[in-house]
Amino acid sequence: MLIVAAQIVAIAADVSPKHARDMARGLEVFKRTVGPALKEHCLECHGGDKTRADFDISSREGLVKGYTDGSVIVSGKAEESLIVKLIRHEEDPPMPHKADKLSEELISKIVEWIDLGAPYDKPLIDKSAPTTGNGPMQITDKDRAFWSFQPLRAPAPPVAKNDSWIQSPIDRFVAAKLEAKGLKPNPVVGRRVLIRRAYLDLVGMPPSPEEVDAFVNDARPNAYEEVIDRLLKDPRYGERWARHWLDAARFAESYGFEQDYNRPFAYHYRDFVIKALNGDMPYDQFVRWQLAGDEFAPDDPLALMATGFLGAGVFPTQLTEKEFESARYDELDDMTGTMGTAMLGLTIGCARCHDHKFDPIPTRDYYRLLSTFTTTIRSEIELDLNPEIYVKEKGAWEKALKSLNAARDKIESGATRVAFADWLKTGAKAAKLDSPWQTLELDSVKSSGGAKLTKLEDGSLLAGGKKPKQETYTFTSTIVARDIRAIRLEALSHASLPRKGPGRAANGNFALSDFRVMVRPLTDAKAELQVAKLTNARATHEQNKGSLSVASSIDGDAKKTGWAVDMGGIGKDQASVFEFTKPIGFEGGTLVQIDMRFNINTEHSLGRLRLSVTSKEDAPVAVGPGVSPTLSEAMALAQSGSSEDLTEKQSRSLFRWFAQRDENWTASNEAVQRHLAEEPQPKLTQVQVTSEGLKPTKHHADGRGFPHFYPKTYFLNRGDVNQKQDEASSGFLRVLMRKGADEKRWKAEPAKDWRTSYRRRSLANWITDTEQGGGELLARVIANRLWHHHFGRGIVSTPNDFGFQGERPTHPELLDFLATELIDGGWRLKTLHKQIMLSATYRQSSEFDPARAEIDPENRWLWRRVPRRLEAEALRDSMLFVSGVLEDRMYGPGTLSEASNRRSIYFMIKRSKLVPMMQVFDAPEPLVSQGSRPSTTIAPQALTFMNSPHVRKYAEGLAGRIGSGKSIEEAVDKGFQIALGRPPNKIERLENAAFVKEQMQSYEKADSKNARAAALADFCQILMSLNEFAYVE
Amino acid sequence: MKMRGNPMNSQNYPDWTWSRREALKRAGGGLGLLGLYSLLNDEGLFATAAHGESAADPLSPKPAHFGGGAKAVIWLFINGGPSQVDTWDYKPELEKADGKELEGFDKFTGFFSNSVGPLMKSPFEFQQYGQCGKHVSSLFPGLSQHVDKMAFIHSGHTESNNHSPALFMMNCGLPRMGYPCVGSWATYGLGSESRNLPAFCVMSDPLNRGLPKGHAANWGAGFLPSVYQGTWLKPTGAAIDNLYRAKHMDESQQQRQLNLLARMNRRHLESRPEEKELAARIESFELAYRMQSAAPEAIDIDSEPEHIKQLYGLGEKRCDHFARQCLTARRLVERGVRFVQIYSGGMENQRSWDGHSDIKGNHSQFAGETDTPIAGLLSDLEQRGLLDETLVIWGGEFGRLPVAQKSAKPGRDHNPHAFTTWLAGGGVKGGVSYGETDELGHKAAVDKVHVNDLHATVLHLLGMDHTKLTYKYNGRRFRLTDVAGHVIREVLA
Repeated sequence: MLIVAAQIVAIAADVSPKHARDMARGLEVFKRTVGPALKEHCLECHGGDKTRADFDISSREGLVKGYTDGSVIVSGKAEESLIVKLIRHEEDPPMPHKADKLSEELISKIVEWIDLGAPYDKPLIDKSAPTTGNGPMQITDKDRAFWSFQPLRAPAPPVAKNDSWIQSPIDRFVAAKLEAKGLKPNPVVGRRVLIRRAYLDLVGMPPSPEEVDAFVNDARPNAYEEVIDRLLKDPRYGERWARHWLDAARFAESYGFEQDYNRPFAYHYRDFVIKALNGDMPYDQFVRWQLAGDEFAPDDPLALMATGFLGAGVFPTQLTEKEFESARYDELDDMTGTMGTAMLGLTIGCARCHDHKFDPIPTRDYYRLLSTFTTTIRSEIELDLNPEIYVKEKGAWEKALKSLNAARDKIESGATRVAFADWLKTGAKAAKLDSPWQTLELDSVKSSGGAKLTKLEDGSLLAGGKKPKQETYTFTSTIVARDIRAIRLEALSHASLPRKGPGRAANGNFALSDFRVMVRPLTDAKAELQVAKLTNARATHEQNKGSLSVASSIDGDAKKTGWAVDMGGIGKDQASVFEFTKPIGFEGGTLVQIDMRFNINTEHSLGRLRLSVTSKEDAPVAVGPGVSPTLSEAMALAQSGSSEDLTEKQSRSLFRWFAQRDENWTASNEAVQRHLAEEPQPKLTQVQVTSEGLKPTKHHADGRGFPHFYPKTYFLNRGDVNQKQDEASSGFLRVLMRKGADEKRWKAEPAKDWRTSYRRRSLANWITDTEQGGGELLARVIANRLWHHHFGRGIVSTPNDFGFQGERPTHPELLDFLATELIDGGWRLKTLHKQIMLSATYRQSSEFDPARAEIDPENRWLWRRVPRRLEAEALRDSMLFVSGVLEDRMYGPGTLSEASNRRSIYFMIKRSKLVPMMQVFDAPEPLVSQGSRPSTTIAPQALTFMNSPHVRKYAEGLAGRIGSGKSIEEAVDKGFQIALGRPPNKIERLENAAFVKEQMQSYEKADSKNARAAALADFCQILMSLNEFAYVE
Repeated sequence: MKMRGNPMNSQNYPDWTWSRREALKRAGGGLGLLGLYSLLNDEGLFATAAHGESAADPLSPKPAHFGGGAKAVIWLFINGGPSQVDTWDYKPELEKADGKELEGFDKFTGFFSNSVGPLMKSPFEFQQYGQCGKHVSSLFPGLSQHVDKMAFIHSGHTESNNHSPALFMMNCGLPRMGYPCVGSWATYGLGSESRNLPAFCVMSDPLNRGLPKGHAANWGAGFLPSVYQGTWLKPTGAAIDNLYRAKHMDESQQQRQLNLLARMNRRHLESRPEEKELAARIESFELAYRMQSAAPEAIDIDSEPEHIKQLYGLGEKRCDHFARQCLTARRLVERGVRFVQIYSGGMENQRSWDGHSDIKGNHSQFAGETDTPIAGLLSDLEQRGLLDETLVIWGGEFGRLPVAQKSAKPGRDHNPHAFTTWLAGGGVKGGVSYGETDELGHKAAVDKVHVNDLHATVLHLLGMDHTKLTYKYNGRRFRLTDVAGHVIREVLA
């Protein structure tokens, strides 16, 4: 009460007698009328539970302070006060918001009160008591009671009087509303129109004349249902409906901004949407995969393609240091905001700088949601899009390999074995070993990074298992020979390596940054290892002659330069030879240690290698088996005729050498080798994904040190990166958490060592949870989108805004019914399509009725069907289809060429080069999520039909289809059938045929060679330009 | 641009004299005829009583918020960032400080942090001109004769030191992609005066030096309906897509074709007379037909008399291309086009005013390309009485630094803290200078003008209140000036 007294005193202090009088009268008006009215109509949003637009009407102080953008009253001057204009509905937004206008009487009282100085006797609420108005925004039961946040009711379809009209439960809801408004619906439309409507709606192209006739003549009661079933199975359905979702997903294939660089592998997201829709992927899974496909199904290429959703937004390519962090927050905002509008119909982005002005979305919720994407970035990875093909081919190959091996084994243990025994007796004495290279037998092999090194029978070493970022191999061996002049390192391919190696990097490469040989006398265990200097390095292939040459692996730089073999050497065997500056080899044997470092690039170690030495000068730089010590010993015994003294190991080694010179064996071995070389590989394609822990896609500002992401996300004051507050941890929108729900319900933890955070997976769990999380709103929003595209207007006419600022549903029970059906039916969209299209509501005619239009001019209550112009894509696709030039190849990279004959969804969407024909017919700029397209009628559209060379091409295509017959009339008939699905009437036939003839004559006069074709094309161009062609009835 | 077909001549109209029922009563004009009813109905601007009937046609002329505003805008976009201290913002102290370090300078102000040099005086001489005695550099022998028409705003500052965000800021009010540009807002607010021409035309560099950074997003309509986006008059080939009748067809052949189309469409409409969109679409073909001759006529500058061509500098090698664009701009606004934007220069570095190296050579070249044409444009608009109703804007996306950017021939790096813009014509007080930079021309210091303020002023000059020109989109009411912007009253006549 003290405060109150002070207020009155303060007002009274500036006083003239008139002022005092006004004040007293004003207070009276306030106490009696205005105060209670403000409490009733305004306080809830302005100073009570909420303080929308920062405007607090609970005290005079707040009233005078005004709102975010300025003052609300001019004290003593009601006519100049914004508040008066708002409550008179002279300015936007009309107040009280989304409620009836105040009575004229009350408005005049408020005017009087402001003219009198707008005094308060006391604040409308007692601010000394704890309130929710001034602190951080709280989520209350009332917030959760807003229609779209409420749990779904499962309303029973109401009983309607107009029973004969009703075809489905949907119609009961519609009929009930119509009856309540005194309206009746139109009857079912004729079959020709109905089938055209169904085709254009579901597959985006008209039916063929044969399909029309078949349907018109099909008397069975389920004929229409069969058409729908067929269309839902048609792959063109996915191409048509994917386009709708791509609008909501602001999908494009370039960065926008300065250079608008292409994202050449972004199209996979478009293909995912088409495939998901055609496969009737449950919608909750569709959502989960777009947010976190990489976390739910990391081995499924489709799930990875789905993550393109998050990364499809614009992003600057030229960034200065000052912009790095704010650009990253913009990117996170784009991910969060697009998810919000596309999936939940909520304008979450509005809470970036302040609590949402209209919806219960506090800034804290915004930043917690945003932080879900903290480490999420765009990457390009290689995927096998059809793993099942690979699995099948690989299986067949393995089977064949088995039989080839068996054939070889049979020869080996048969004929070759016999020949070997014979040779030992008769031929061995004259035999000679022919390779100058002695393969080293390695005594110890070590990988600093923990890779598993396995010795193979041919003396080579294969790396597997753990793949460290950096690696050092250390080997030891003993050599008996002296005068060793050179050492050979073979880098060998192997089927187990990426792209067959020889390296372990993803591209099959390796980079040997340092190669070092150290020696000591075998007999002197105390002697220190000495470096044996290497020189004159040569190789069968080098990636370049500079920093990736073989010489650079002995240049003393163990970090930046070294031997690599990309640019022609991947998947093949390579050899390098290093000469010792002076020959090595101690009397009594030499202990050799070989160190190989792989530090230049991550994971670039060697996958398979073999080491050998030679005493020869000028030993060739080539790949090939050497002679192992065992073989030398074995051969010596064989030559001396003491083959019975061969140990088993020696015998095996000698047999292997012999076999390679035995014709029978080599023939069967070659068959095996040929087959090995044909091992099927996964067909890898580059795919843009949005994930975590992968290499970020290269960025223009990488050279400046652009970090791609920051490890932490903060609450920002007014959205400003220079005003960071606490760190934000990942969380959900509280208004879409049932009261008392615990976030733990959705939080998922990754397995140890897994590369992503699982924050997105947690988010996906929440957003699809129909019991405690966002799932029911998710269902409402998508059910409404389907309705919107089938009818041209959603049950909620703002498909991207289910919040307070959005429109309210015209048929809330119907929307809940559809959402419930969707969830109960396993989130199958095709089922919902069918339900909608089987309804009499969908099937009714477009017939106009002035009387009913008087009651419902906008057709909100669905008493008829409103004709709609086809969207850009469907319009062009329909022209392509009737012209006969349509190329129906699905998927893959798109094109920017308007001359393409593929469906419009396969246009590449480059933000700076949007396809003109799409733009002119209202295709949106893919910058932010779009829920509904405008449909404008402008002269440039007419110019397109009149003068575009592409439209002309379509017209010529159609002319080609109809012109083969003898008479012009025949051609006219055909043209009508194909383009419009009906024959021309008498007048139409006459005047069009006359037109064609007249055009023909004029072209002939102008010496045109194809007068008939040109005239027919003129006619076909008319058909495509007709309102009847461009509009769906 | 050669004109094809006959100029506007009612004799050549096809036979479209059918009784124009309800549909044509609504004919407002412009290229746009009918936006989806719900879209417009959703929209505050059209919903207000003041705009009443225009709901049918998104481009019909609409009354401004208050009278007396300019009817058209010609915006000369000095692309790449012209240097204020070398053009209009005379800084004697900078001359004295030449060669000294700029103390406390943040090396990340410009684009290149590793080539910051010392303070550098302007390589150009300044002299005083006009009754107002404005100091102008020797770059502008022609424009300096018009200073009494211009209002200079010296204290401009922006939010990015990088071309494309700064271009978006200057064109669309936010340094991000996806928002409607000034031209789109203006045509959204005022509609078009021309039935047969695009309401908003953009011309870019015709010398193959590229488009401004960010390309068409600089004249995009963002979330506004696409009818409000700028029509880019292509510098080569046909200026507007599909404007010309296909070669195989002559005029009478096309007329016959369009007549039959109209007849069939009308018959179709007869059974559904209430479908307004269908009627509007019929009319769109009529308009398109008229546009086929009107648009080529509008951009056919060859028909101008010789003395006018000379006035703009046509035929002079260094400025012929820009002279053509300025003359085209005048012909367009004369015919009712609402908003014309011309970009001087293409992309960046030596292709535009982006003088990172050799500021002297760079600015001499681009001033040379534009000085005579713009001076000619101002004279021509004045002598035709069009200047009073045409707002002319000269300015870029940011300014340049008073320190040198090291180079064989020194240049200047980007400066978001200060730039000069001038306005002339429609409603502008001539001969005034508003705001000041510090004594070295480094940062705006007195009466700072944010880009939002500049936009508020431009809209005001067009008769619109920037706080009332709003568009509701995805749950929010957007405006060009976001939540800021003050009209600079000192530059208003």
